[in-house]
Amino acid sequence: MSEYQEIGFEQRMALVDFRVSERAHITVDGDACRGCTTQGCVVACPANLFVPTSDGGILFNYEQCFECGTCYLVCNTEGAITWTYPEGGHGVVFALS
Amino acid sequence: MTAAEGSAASRSGARGSGASGSGLRIAACAKWVDLRPGVDALTGRVSTDERRFGFSAADAAALEVALRLGSEWGAEVDVVVAAPAPAEGAIRSLAAAGASRAIRVDLPSGASSKQVAASLAAATADADVVVCGDYSLDVGSGSVPASIAHRRGAAQALGLISVTPESPGVVRAVRRLDGGRREHLRVRTPAVLSVEGSVATLRRAPLRSLRAGHAPAVEVIDPVGLAVASVRLDRTEPVRPRARALPGPNGSAAFDRVVELTGALVARTPPRRVDAADDADAAADAIIEQLAAWGYLDPS
Amino acid sequence: MSVDYDAIVVGAGPAGSAAAIALARSGRSVALIERGPFPGSKNMYGGVVYGRILDGIVPNWWEEAPIQRWVTRRATMMMTDTQALTVDFRTAAWGAPPYNGATAYRPDFDQWLATHATAAGAELICSTTVTGVLRDGNRVVGVRTDRPDGELTARTVIACDGVNSFVAKEAGLYGEVEAHHYTVGVKETIRLGRDVIDQRFGLRGLDGADFEIVGCTNGIPGGGFLYTNLDTVAVGVVLELPSLAKQDRRPEQILAGLKSHPAIAPFLEGGEIGEYSAHVIPEGGLAMMPELVGDGLLVAGDAAAMCLAAGIWLEGVNFAIASGHAAGLATADALRRGDTSAAGLSGYRRRLETTFVLADHRKLAGAPELMMSPRMQRAYPQVACNTAERLFTVENPRPKTGLNAIVRSELKAAGVKVADLGRDALRGLRSFG
Ligand SMILES: Cc1cc2nc3c(=O)[nH]c(=O)nc-3n(C[C@H](O)[C@H](O)[C@H](O)COP(=O)(O)OP(=O)(O)OC[C@H]3O[C@@H](n4cnc5c(N)ncnc54)[C@H](O)[C@@H]3O)c2cc1C
Ligand code: SF4
Ligand code: SF4
Repeated sequence: MSEYQEIGFEQRMALVDFRVSERAHITVDGDACRGCTTQGCVVACPANLFVPTSDGGILFNYEQCFECGTCYLVCNTEGAITWTYPEGGHGVVFALS
Repeated sequence: MTAAEGSAASRSGARGSGASGSGLRIAACAKWVDLRPGVDALTGRVSTDERRFGFSAADAAALEVALRLGSEWGAEVDVVVAAPAPAEGAIRSLAAAGASRAIRVDLPSGASSKQVAASLAAATADADVVVCGDYSLDVGSGSVPASIAHRRGAAQALGLISVTPESPGVVRAVRRLDGGRREHLRVRTPAVLSVEGSVATLRRAPLRSLRAGHAPAVEVIDPVGLAVASVRLDRTEPVRPRARALPGPNGSAAFDRVVELTGALVARTPPRRVDAADDADAAADAIIEQLAAWGYLDPS
Repeated sequence: MSVDYDAIVVGAGPAGSAAAIALARSGRSVALIERGPFPGSKNMYGGVVYGRILDGIVPNWWEEAPIQRWVTRRATMMMTDTQALTVDFRTAAWGAPPYNGATAYRPDFDQWLATHATAAGAELICSTTVTGVLRDGNRVVGVRTDRPDGELTARTVIACDGVNSFVAKEAGLYGEVEAHHYTVGVKETIRLGRDVIDQRFGLRGLDGADFEIVGCTNGIPGGGFLYTNLDTVAVGVVLELPSLAKQDRRPEQILAGLKSHPAIAPFLEGGEIGEYSAHVIPEGGLAMMPELVGDGLLVAGDAAAMCLAAGIWLEGVNFAIASGHAAGLATADALRRGDTSAAGLSGYRRRLETTFVLADHRKLAGAPELMMSPRMQRAYPQVACNTAERLFTVENPRPKTGLNAIVRSELKAAGVKVADLGRDALRGLRSFG
């Protein structure tokens, strides 16, 4: 019998319904991150949306966000993350959770 | 979206002033579909869930275009959706963006494009302009707008990437053609327009029109019976060619029989090659000539 | 003063719907504002709703609630990388009315509960995010939303907007927010098929299983869970935030570790992931609870850190329903008396004191710290598993070592002092006993 394969991260995220809004509900100030030694957001964000850049900054994509709150809670740098909820009706929509 | 906000501001003025306006009516049609049907990775089985149902970006854009035309011309906008009863909440929220009427044609989700088009054509009979999304997410043939236009004898401009109102009853539209070309159209009412999702983003409904008693109630109308409604398609079966007796192959050795069966080692017409890169016209002529020779085409 | 509503409830999760039900049934005008396209669309959790609290709100709820399975088997598993020791409890009593716990999907459950609010007359407004509160001096007099003409006024606002509660924070009810009071839960819902689940978990009909797991989180304080739905299972881990941020394994990798554990993998084999999800949990209990009322404002559910989470306990939906309902009733009282100031709304706290909500939180006040301690997370599972392994490994002709001796040597190996063990046992008894 064929079996379902363990899937890659992109496929995992593709299983979730994200109704992407035009407005980014979370923004990250890459400059503020350059002084951050821990970069806890990178390992903690369950959607893996924080990508460290070679110059010590952070690249952030808001589209596939669970709106969970982990990132702003683990970040200790004032002003690095601006966190709001997406426009009503947009963002993540769960079905089987 | 400053354009949307600008027209949102002038809309309240436009709404009650059909008389002072052009007297035109505009209808926006939308289809209630599963925006994200599930597909089983192993079996390919498709599953739908009513909670994921909604209106495609193209259908939402159609309403926005309709609202912009409406506020420019002082015309009222109707939202018309062919859908079953569970769609009413979604229709109400859609219409709350600024439509003056919300109409549901009572059809099941799987109704045929023909039936949908006939019903929408009847429901929008008094609209001067009908705006639709370019094609639906589920069936996706894009035939409904064309079919509405045909039934109503209206002009059609389909797959538009930009719509701008000109004088009342006339719009300028741009259509994408193959190879990156654009076609600029001037369309006069009565007309059916279908638009791509990128044309416009639907404005957010003001809070007030979402509240109970403020949104227009959804009017329900019956679908139009099709002329062929007395014939119902139950199912279509796969082709089953009739059995045909064939003489067995000659030859005493198995090898000879196989050769005869497969037609190998027999002289045959070699395939013709025409290089299309050199001369496309000659290639097309050759294809037509060959098809005619085989009897697929009438040579005249 | 002319206002749009008697009360505005922010968030149509279990807390919000319960509050709206109480108010609407008292004949009050209520708006229930939800930012998702439908109630439950933004919400995920482990998977078990404890329904007793619903008895007084929706009689015979079990006949209509959209549940997946009734939990009749509850197992607690202590785990090391290669071992697992399980305490497995089953009772038929939980599989019949009035039931105990049930697995359900939140998009189903929350939407169902919200229909009881609208049936009672509450006005549900979806796809609308509350972006702030309207104030008159110190008093909250309404909310601002992200829609055009988006302001609504009310005599009271009830913040049921979940763990990140920006409403309670904006109103100044929270002190400093400390990350160590929060965990993040990540989970996969895995499609297996009903028969396969019945066979692997030893279930029949609508019976369901609920596994809570300690020691599966790579040393990060937290825990794991495995729940059965009708034809899917939910498997997830819960991880304390600062510790998660300090190490280098990502949440889905830690979850993959749990999934491949020899005690878990056989349950999941051949399944297909249907959804991956994540959400933050307020774990701090009493230690992090905000002020519960302000002038014209109440806070309930996760917004008020009412979730009871302490290792193997993960109950939030029932606490949200109870606190939301209490907030709704207290608001109805206050409206009747015409005083919705903080003093007028203080009946809310009194109601919570007399129900299980604050009583349980008091009782389990020390539990989060105990359950999250390194001993509970690493040492005790190690000691328990090794003890069991040595006890059950047959080594004759060598004579068997006595249990006592095994435990002592294992405690020593794991670096646990007997005094610590005693203290933890006492604390555990006080909390859970
Ligand atoms: C991984 C995990 C596992 C869990 N397991 C269990 C379990 O097995 N059993 C159990 O009982 N509990 C469990 N819980 C806890 C439980 O999920 C929560 O305690 C419960 O959901 C709290 O309910 P609530 O109504 O207070 O908040 P929520 O359920 O979070 O609802 C808040 C609602 O408010 C809306 N909202 C938020 N902000 C706004 C805004 N600004 N405007 C409009 N709407 C807004 C949200 O969209 C949401 O619908 C678990 C939690 C997690 C994360
Ligand atoms: S977002 Fe915060 S935690 Fe992440 S890198 Fe920037 S400063 Fe550090
Ligand atoms: S809210 Fe959660 S999912 Fe979204 S970016 Fe932050 S940590 Fe990642």
